Amino acid sequence: MKVAGQSVPRVDGPAKVTGRARYALDLTVPGMTHGAVARSDRAHARILSVDTGEAEAVNGVLEVITGASLAPLDLRFGHVVRDHPALAVDRVLYHGEPVALVVAETRRAAERAARLVSVDYEDLPAVMDADEALGEGAPVLHPERIERTKDEGLDQGGEALVGNLCAAADFGWGDVDAALAAADLVLEGEYRYPMLYGYAMEPYNAIASFEEGSLVVYSTAQHPYMVREDLARIFALPLARVRVVVPYVGGGYGSKSYTKVEPLAALGAYVTGRPVRVALSVEESILTTRSDGARVRARSAFAADGTLLARDFDVVMDSGAYTDNSPVVCAKLANRCFGPYRIGAVRVRVRSAFTNTVPASSLRGFGAPQGNLAGELQMDDAADRLGIDALALRLKNVVRPGEEILPGKRGIDADLPADLDLLTTSLGWPNAPEGRGIGFGISASDAGAHPTSVAMVRLHADGSASAAVGATELGQGSRTVLSQILAEQLGLPMEKVAIVAADTGVTPYERTTGASRTTALVGRSLMAACADAKRRVAELAGEGAEFADAIKAFFGAGGEIIGVGAVRRHGEFRKMPPFWEIGCSGVVAAVDAETGRVRVEQLSTVGDVGFAINPALVHGQDLGAATMGLGAALSEQLVYDGQTLANPNVVDYRVPRCSDIPERLDQILAQRQDGIGPYGAKGAGEGTLNPVGAAVAAAVGRIVGRYPRELPLTPERVWRLAQTEDARV
Amino acid sequence: MMLPSDFELHRPATVGEAVALRAELGEAAALYAGGTELLLAMKLGVLDYEHLIDLKRIAGLRGVTCAGGELRIGAAVTHRELETHPDVVRELPGLAALERAVANVRVRAAGTLAGNLAFAEPHADPPALLVALGARVVLVGGEGSRELALEDFLVGAYETELGEDELIEAIVVPVGAPGAVYRKFQVLERPAVGVAAVGNLVGGVFDGAPTVVVGAVDERPVRVGAEMLDGAALDDEGAFAALAEAAAEAVEPVDDLSGSEDYKRHLTGVLAKRAVQALGDV
Repeated sequence: MKVAGQSVPRVDGPAKVTGRARYALDLTVPGMTHGAVARSDRAHARILSVDTGEAEAVNGVLEVITGASLAPLDLRFGHVVRDHPALAVDRVLYHGEPVALVVAETRRAAERAARLVSVDYEDLPAVMDADEALGEGAPVLHPERIERTKDEGLDQGGEALVGNLCAAADFGWGDVDAALAAADLVLEGEYRYPMLYGYAMEPYNAIASFEEGSLVVYSTAQHPYMVREDLARIFALPLARVRVVVPYVGGGYGSKSYTKVEPLAALGAYVTGRPVRVALSVEESILTTRSDGARVRARSAFAADGTLLARDFDVVMDSGAYTDNSPVVCAKLANRCFGPYRIGAVRVRVRSAFTNTVPASSLRGFGAPQGNLAGELQMDDAADRLGIDALALRLKNVVRPGEEILPGKRGIDADLPADLDLLTTSLGWPNAPEGRGIGFGISASDAGAHPTSVAMVRLHADGSASAAVGATELGQGSRTVLSQILAEQLGLPMEKVAIVAADTGVTPYERTTGASRTTALVGRSLMAACADAKRRVAELAGEGAEFADAIKAFFGAGGEIIGVGAVRRHGEFRKMPPFWEIGCSGVVAAVDAETGRVRVEQLSTVGDVGFAINPALVHGQDLGAATMGLGAALSEQLVYDGQTLANPNVVDYRVPRCSDIPERLDQILAQRQDGIGPYGAKGAGEGTLNPVGAAVAAAVGRIVGRYPRELPLTPERVWRLAQTEDARV
Repeated sequence: MMLPSDFELHRPATVGEAVALRAELGEAAALYAGGTELLLAMKLGVLDYEHLIDLKRIAGLRGVTCAGGELRIGAAVTHRELETHPDVVRELPGLAALERAVANVRVRAAGTLAGNLAFAEPHADPPALLVALGARVVLVGGEGSRELALEDFLVGAYETELGEDELIEAIVVPVGAPGAVYRKFQVLERPAVGVAAVGNLVGGVFDGAPTVVVGAVDERPVRVGAEMLDGAALDDEGAFAALAEAAAEAVEPVDDLSGSEDYKRHLTGVLAKRAVQALGDV
């Protein structure tokens, strides 16, 4: 291979470092107006009336749009359940929910007017805690339940979705109770993973306009084709007449999956007939989407020789006010919580609960870190109690290559024992430096999502080639990797290939840019498209012909050859998941005993990616993901104080900084070409995050003498843990 | 965070013009000397002013001078200037070190010490050390100028003795203290606890009780009696334990995102001990 496997420079690097790369926020459309959002200051209330008079009187204001003013338009969106109104209609379900959209000639006028929208509410009882929400007598957020879109089979088990139960997963195998009764050691504990804001440098923003019967939206969406579906339904338009264009995106991490501000901008355009930009601040973005917090009750049963006999997980997710993506997170949390181990008996029950809080949706890791905290900490705790080395205990139970984690699903396409060896060697396990603690862990995520991807390749008369794909460039480097695949497949230098991406009016369908799927799945559809194009060249001009010659021979003047390729749930992609994304990370940490402050001195990651098409980009993803894991491990958490967020800004919500990056980084790549993607590649971008929370907690636990059960490990929490007199639990 | 409401920016050329503007515009105006606190509050809609009086272009408010055993810091001097100014680095290395750790370099390049003190955000770094050093503020107004000890100038959270027609002209800090250090504990954007210690060690023994001032915990800096250290050695664990206890008892923390009341009390004790012990490294 010539280009694949090389750390070629990013194709978008020069444009980005010189500030020339265009993001949605950089665009302007002729005649563009500005939307600003008035938000609820109640957690749960009935809207009695909305007084827009003062706001309308502000100079420059074109329209003040409320949910009620838009009847009979149905403002609800949601790819699993269409229950999320773009603007609250008769009730608000959380503090910060959009109640009105002001459209004005200037952003200043729109923002000023938005502050003048006055709403008369009748307060309703609110429920702020997920366990309470599922309990008797809790106020019900969605008394009338809307049917699932049935886009994906999600719920496992037959739990009825009533009350505040948003989604549920309930499955298992083997006789868990018998295994628990017969075990030599049973560990039981309750663990808590915080609700997080997936901070990205670019907040949510979109520009919408209606042009010649089509709705055109420029946006920061990760999944433009999903957004297209929501918009088509709201405005009763065919998919062909909704065009969602996503230029460069300033960070996604799942926080920009699915529909966010696009309906607001589109409603503004619909009412005013003018293009409308809605650009949220970071503070407003925090009020738009967060990740699901989780309370995890876990039991693990072991034989005296360390054999993991059974696991029993009972999880309640705090999913906020609307369904959004929580059912998918619920299903994934359930699949990922018990870990990549050979376990005779498993029982998993995950319930996603509605609460009067900011709606939760996707975030990097996608359910895995929540469950992994409990699962991996119990491995460490069991090792201590059984007198078995924590690595040896994992090696004894971890699945071998090809073995199934979930019955009937794809066997594991990775060598986890080898990964654990690489990791623990890097960490110096079990010999921690004086006063330090080592922690490490492993995870396996059913990644790739539903494998639908279509790509188109165009061979040009001058011997260059371009490809059109629906994948978005979120900073992860998708355009660079796809360029490398295109160049490799066609035998062209990087200078002669180009990628056109993420414009539903131009590029072919892509299900999502999520689940770490782009390299593997878009890469394969692109390879198929290249093969198709080459087949056409051979048909026209014979095997081995140069495609420029074939074009010339066929057209005489000008012309091009187009190849299309697709990946679908068929053939080698029939078995789910398309691939497993492995997490294998560890830390060496120190604790300031007097203050409780944790300092992570070393971070080691094993990127089990099958094949690194661009090793530098994989390193970037592995470090970025693990660093986000450190954020949740040490400082990040959205805190509710009563019915409002106490830290709805990035001054009080602490994301990691460069100075928080551990001094010693060891980023290992395991390249065994055992993946379904191009050249044996698998996805990357989330895996290294997943075990980080448990790894940091284990390292801290080994220093202070008892394992923490709640993240983030704020200095106060660690200090209190060290003060606790209780024996190790 | 949004755009602030419309305001008019005034750029007086002299202190006299600034004072006159302040008298004329009254409560509708705010003094603007960097804006790192003020503009944030305006963008959040917490504060709203129709007029801002920019002090940073007034030549008379610029510059740091060192004379007569005192450092005079003009009101338009930024944190970044203090951090790098040779006179500050030489005469008050503890202050230079404190300034180096204020917020981030963007804030330090724009924000001024005078602005910081006048805004009187309790979770700020400079007040504790400046109080410990015996700093004074020079205020100028329609009636002329006056000097106040910084300790008296700071009244409470976001509250100072600054008169309606006054502005800070300069901050005066005595130099020559044998040792002055500041130690803070910070998790979020602002310090949770900051402790300043000023004192003298002779042969590893404290010559007199050090001055210890706790910042960022209460609404204004709090002095901690450190007489137990008078004559104590740096390794006197009993004296330091007593200091930590005295410091923990001197403050009245409130629960917030940086920690709960008892934890912050504990931290205050730890930081007081560490700050005073650090005098041994000066």
